[in-house]
Formats: sequence, structure tokens, C-alpha cells
Amino acid sequence: MIQSILDAISLGGLYSLAALGLGLVFGVMRLVNFAHGELITIAAYTLVLTTQFPLLLSLVLTIFVTALVALIMEFAIYRRLRGVSPAIMLVASFGLSTVLQRVYEFTFGALPKSAVVAPSLSGVVKFAGLSITISSVLTIILAVVILLAMGYLVERTSLGLQLRAASADFRTARLLGVRSNRLITAAFVLSGVLASFVAFILVIQNPVVNPYYGLNITILALVGIVIGGISSLRGAALGGFIVGVILSGLNTLLGNGRVYSYTWLFITVLIILLVRPGGLLSKGSELERV
Amino acid sequence: MRHGGVTKFSFQNLFGPIIIISALTFFVGRTSASLQLITQFTLCYFMMVLALQVFVGNSGVLSFGHGSFALIGSYISGMLTAPINIKGHALAMNQLWQALVPLHTNIYLALLISAIISAFFAALTGSLLMRLSGLSAGIATFALLGVTYNVFFNNKRIGPGSQALPAVPTISNTYILLLLAALAIVVVYLFNISSLGRTLIATREDAMAAPALGINIYRVRLIAFTLSGFLAGLSGGMYVHVAGTFQVQDYYLEFTFLTLSMLIIGGSASLWGALLGTIVISTIGQLLLMMEQDLPIFGIHAHIPEGSRAVIIAVAFVAVLLWRSSGIANGKEFSIPTFWRK
Repeated sequence: MIQSILDAISLGGLYSLAALGLGLVFGVMRLVNFAHGELITIAAYTLVLTTQFPLLLSLVLTIFVTALVALIMEFAIYRRLRGVSPAIMLVASFGLSTVLQRVYEFTFGALPKSAVVAPSLSGVVKFAGLSITISSVLTIILAVVILLAMGYLVERTSLGLQLRAASADFRTARLLGVRSNRLITAAFVLSGVLASFVAFILVIQNPVVNPYYGLNITILALVGIVIGGISSLRGAALGGFIVGVILSGLNTLLGNGRVYSYTWLFITVLIILLVRPGGLLSKGSELERV
Repeated sequence: MRHGGVTKFSFQNLFGPIIIISALTFFVGRTSASLQLITQFTLCYFMMVLALQVFVGNSGVLSFGHGSFALIGSYISGMLTAPINIKGHALAMNQLWQALVPLHTNIYLALLISAIISAFFAALTGSLLMRLSGLSAGIATFALLGVTYNVFFNNKRIGPGSQALPAVPTISNTYILLLLAALAIVVVYLFNISSLGRTLIATREDAMAAPALGINIYRVRLIAFTLSGFLAGLSGGMYVHVAGTFQVQDYYLEFTFLTLSMLIIGGSASLWGALLGTIVISTIGQLLLMMEQDLPIFGIHAHIPEGSRAVIIAVAFVAVLLWRSSGIANGKEFSIPTFWRK
């Protein structure tokens, strides 16, 4: 029971990190970056392929590589698509996502790569008669720390103020002196950093990395930011958390019927969207033409 | 924004695409048996891209849910035509609900039934989904695809589940598929130039001004969604009778992305764009496949390493979007080049 609750919270925390990475970029440029999953994948590859180094070095290297790929995305593709409709940008990000998957397949091979990352962090501890997996506790701690750090960054710093202003109304923010290209670049770097942490948590639980590693979590995080409310970062984080908790809860409650947990998850999503089309944290109606 | 949608009836806008698709089917389909099969699959994809054009192209609302209509069309047409003893006794199907076993009809009736039921399903789901717009609509339609896929993939009472339903009779005559595609072109063209179609395009161009002119966005989107569901169901039905088996996995993410990219690459705002996108992507894919297998193309051997096909297609896809974000056709319908007419 305790383990189920911990699992639900840790999955919620994980998805909320992924959703935040998507939400940051969406906020500043109305881009649903489907290729965010490929940032998670490259981070996972880097972690698995650098296990010979100390963990901290490996993690720093991962963040560096992932942020670099995020920057390449922005400079090579998205910068040339400014002013294009969000629907086209979404489809372009599908294309980019496919390109990167194929490049990974070409570079690392279609067969999965695997290695034990941080062996001390996988396993079970016994506590007051309960056995609890270390990874779920670690995930919760890590998610809380990162969310607090992000919260500080977004609420208390000048960069955060600009990000929030741009999410609320990009055009007005530009008029008030926010440098749009610099802000977008910063958002991409931050989403790369978040993707690295998501990958770190994922590889501890499942160290078998293939070219499609980040796809599933991206789809669910995407669902999360929409039901949370796309116009705010808080909504994105909340929505991701809700999706994670619902999915984990369904897996526990449905027992043998757990193959249908996605059906119930998506039905819940449909109901939330029909009741609140702008998401749970939306204020009033806002037309978004995607 | 895109400025598509020719409003006046024009012979070349309608018959240009029909003549081109007929000529291609005729010449490519006769070349070899494998190319004939490719042509048949391409006609099925084209039907799906047309379905997407009617709704996505004209309304500007992205739908990832059309795969579920194709899935249902394919499922119904497959189940209605597969031999009864296969349905009753095949190993994979022994959990099938008994009432479904004796249902049997011929291919053409099955195609019609599958398209009608898909349209009905689209109307039913659309009546809820069409209240949404923007990204919410995109995610909601995706959720619809997720539900349909998940149910059909896991439920062995209603179908083959994760396994394949074998021995579905095939349509060997390519011209029947061509005829269906040509009919669909006529229907879609007439819809696009009708007042309903133009109203829908108006809602795409300005979602604020359209209601001010008295347009009921919900109503026009729902009608288009239903027509689109009919065509998507038909495309699924055609696909199952070309492939000869029904498999739930055939209509999921890959299918959705492939057909949506055909539409976007060609240019979603016009029927001509839908046809161009299908032809361009299918042709490039086929040529690269032949290069990978080191087969001669017009007598020329151009070998590329295995696996590079997928990379090249994906890169070309992104490149076209960077070059012309409204697609190759750029919202225009087919017309004979102007230097020729003068």
C-alpha cells in the first residue's frame, strides 16, 4: 500500500518534470516540441555509455550533451520556423523527432544499449516492516528538489519573470523589452537540463535504452500539459503530476485489467478536456489556433 | 495564413487530379507485380489523406484521431469477409464472441458497411470533440486514438487482439481501388466548393470573425468530421483488402504520422496538395527502398546503405517544411501551368 502510494507520487513527479520541460518551450514560442523525447533519449544514451566515469561527471556530461542537442534543434530548425503556425511547428517537431530516432538508430544501433547506472540506487530498503524501493524515494526527492529549484528560478529571478511574461503574452513581453531569441535559447537549454534529470531517473528504473526510449513519456507529458493548462508553467507541472498519479493508480487498482489502464487514462483526459477545454488551471476561455 | 479553397467549379481543378492519379495507377501498376501492390497501398493511403484533408485541411484543427476510424473500418470489413471457419477455429481467435463468427458478407457490401459505421462513430465522438479547438482538440483526438487502439489491441472477445486476423479476401483489381479514389476525389471536391466547405474554410481563416457572420463552427466542423470519418473508414476497409490481414498495429502512430505528413508536405489547404503529398512521399520512399536493395532504377544502380532510407525521408520532410511551410501545393488547386495556356 505504502509502496503503491510512493510509486504513484514518484511517477507523478517524473512526469511533472517531463511536462515542465515541454511547457517551458511551449510557453515562449507556442511550440509543442515533440522531439523533447529525443532529448530524453540522448541523455539516457549518454548516461548508459559513460558508466565508467564517476556518477557526478557522467551526469554533468549528460546535461552538457543534452543541452547541446537542444540548442542544435533550436538553431538548425526552429529558428527558421518563427512566425509559422503552431500546427506546422508541431508537425515539424514530429519530423525532427523521427530524424533524431533514425540518427540514434544509425549511431548506436537498433539493439538496445544497457548498463547499470548507479547500482547503489536500485534496490529495496526495509523500513518499519515495509520494503520500499530506493528508486521511488529517490525520484520523489529529486523531483521535489528540481521542482523547487525551477520554482525559485521562475518566480524569483529575472529570467523567470521574462519566461512567465512571455508565456502569458509573448508579443507584449517583446514590446516591453524581453529579448525573444535569447529567451527562447534559454528555454531550450533549461528543457535540455530537465530532460537529463528525467533520463537519469528513468535509467535507474530501466537501463535498457533504445532509439524510442523517450517517446512514451513525452506523449504522456504532452497530455499532462494540456489537461493542466497550457498557458502556465504551474499548470504544466500539475498536469504532468496528475497523469503520472492516475496512471500509477490505475495500474495498481485494475489488477489483471491493467492492460486497459491507458483506456481509462485517456477517457479521464477526454472528460477533463470537455469540462475544462483550456485545462485545469485556465482562467476563462482563450482561443488557441493550433 | 494559408489561402486555399477555390470556390468556383472548375473542370481542371477536378479532373486534373483524377487524370493524374489514373495515369499513374495505369503506368506504374502495370510495371511489375510488386509495384502493383505498392500502387494499391498508395491508393489506400491517398483515401486516408483525402479524409484528413476534408477535416484537418479545411478546418485547421489537427486530428490524430482518424487512425481510429481507419482501424474500425478495417476491423469491420475484415471481420465481415474473413472465412467463417477461420474466425471460429483459428488459434488466435478462440476467445472470440460467438455471435460475431457467423456474420459474413461480400467485399463491396462490407466496405460500404464499414465506411458507414466509421462515419457514425465519427459523428458520435465528434459531437463531443468538436466543442474543442486548438491544442486541446489535438490532444483529445489523440486520446480517442489511444482508447480505440488500447481496446482493440487487448480485447480478444471482439477481434484478434494483438494478433493478426488472417485470410481476409483481397481486391486484386487495382482499377476498383482507383474507381473508389476517383469517386472520393469528386465528393471531396464538391464538398470543398460547396457553401458548407467554404464556411468551414472561413472558420479556419478566422475563428473570431466566422461566428460574427452567423456561422455555427460546431455544426460545420461536425459535418466535415463525419464525412472525413466515412472516408477514413473506407480507407481502412480498402487497406485490409489489399493487405489480406487485419492487424490493430497497422493503424496506430506510424500510420497516423505518415498520412498526416503526406497531407502537410503536399499542402493541407487543397485537394491537389493531398494528392501531391501522397505521390511525392510514396515515390521517394519507393525509390529509396529500391536503392537500398540495390535494384536498378531506369537501369541505373545507385546504392545507399541499409537504413538510410528512413533518415533521408525524415530529413526531406523537415526540409520541405523549412522551404515552404504551407506545403508543396501552397494552397492551390491543380491547374495547367500558365505558360501553356497563354
